[in-house]
Amino acid sequence: MNNQLTQVDHSALRVNQAMIIALLIIGFVINLPVLAAFVSAVMLIGTALRQPGFKIVYAGFLKPRGIVKPDVIADNPQPHVFAQGMGGTVLLIGVIAFALNGALIGWALTWLVVALAALNLFGGFCAGCFVYYWLARLRVPGFVAQPTPGTFPGMRPQGKAS
Amino acid sequence: MEILLRLGIALFIILAGIVVYRFVTAVRLALLRMKQNPMVGLGGRAGVPAILYFTTPDCAPCKTFQAPAIESLQVQFGDRLQVIKIDASQRNDLADAWGVLSVPTTFIIDAQGQPRHVNNGVASAAKLRQQLREFVGLDESAEKTIRLENRLTVGQ
Repeated sequence: MNNQLTQVDHSALRVNQAMIIALLIIGFVINLPVLAAFVSAVMLIGTALRQPGFKIVYAGFLKPRGIVKPDVIADNPQPHVFAQGMGGTVLLIGVIAFALNGALIGWALTWLVVALAALNLFGGFCAGCFVYYWLARLRVPGFVAQPTPGTFPGMRPQGKAS
Repeated sequence: MEILLRLGIALFIILAGIVVYRFVTAVRLALLRMKQNPMVGLGGRAGVPAILYFTTPDCAPCKTFQAPAIESLQVQFGDRLQVIKIDASQRNDLADAWGVLSVPTTFIIDAQGQPRHVNNGVASAAKLRQQLREFVGLDESAEKTIRLENRLTVGQ
């Protein structure tokens, strides 16, 4: 069992979610599946680098100008990385559907990712993190982090970083 | 034309999401009201409407926006309103019991100790004032009337 919490900046996660939601909705409105492909690629690259895909927008633009302030919380970074990877994969399946002329399935999966990102951004519940913690509970290899004490799996921890 | 149709679909889906969110919030409040006494453990005064304010020490919008808004209402309404401030990082039990997902979160509580409204995120002083008027019957005009009555009583 691994429960070593580190400092996770939730502002970076929220900016990432906001970017995903905004770009995917714009992609839907102007009927540009390539934008969904771009978001999917950014999410999967971010997962490989173990950080939020659109972190550059936060770290390079919003944070230095004081537009978004850091919100550092003692938390596990792994479930958030997993959640992003899960979202990126769902979006990738959607992109494949677009390529196979399955626009309806493609947009449905895109909206699913928008809904889950919105649930995280506005509701504080990370569905991907919830799945991660369940896999850890089932002792699936590679899933070792445990929920923050006193926090329901997937919910945003209330405590500040120590 | 197609772009307008897509915009309409997007707006419809977003609105549907907002409706679902509001429904879930209403259910949450209803469940809180069904509890025997949701105010237990909060340390508030009985019979006085309250703003239950969940915050954390490192919450920037709480310091810059929410706290000043609540303080202005406290000054305005005086003893007729109580503010119960909870540090969610210290009182995880209360944050969980009240279903708090993020800070700041404010609940409008009536004189009977029943939660009437919840704001997830920053709520302006004007918004809170309106909610106090709508849900608790606490309004500025009544406050002014009471002040006037007090002055008249002192004058007699």
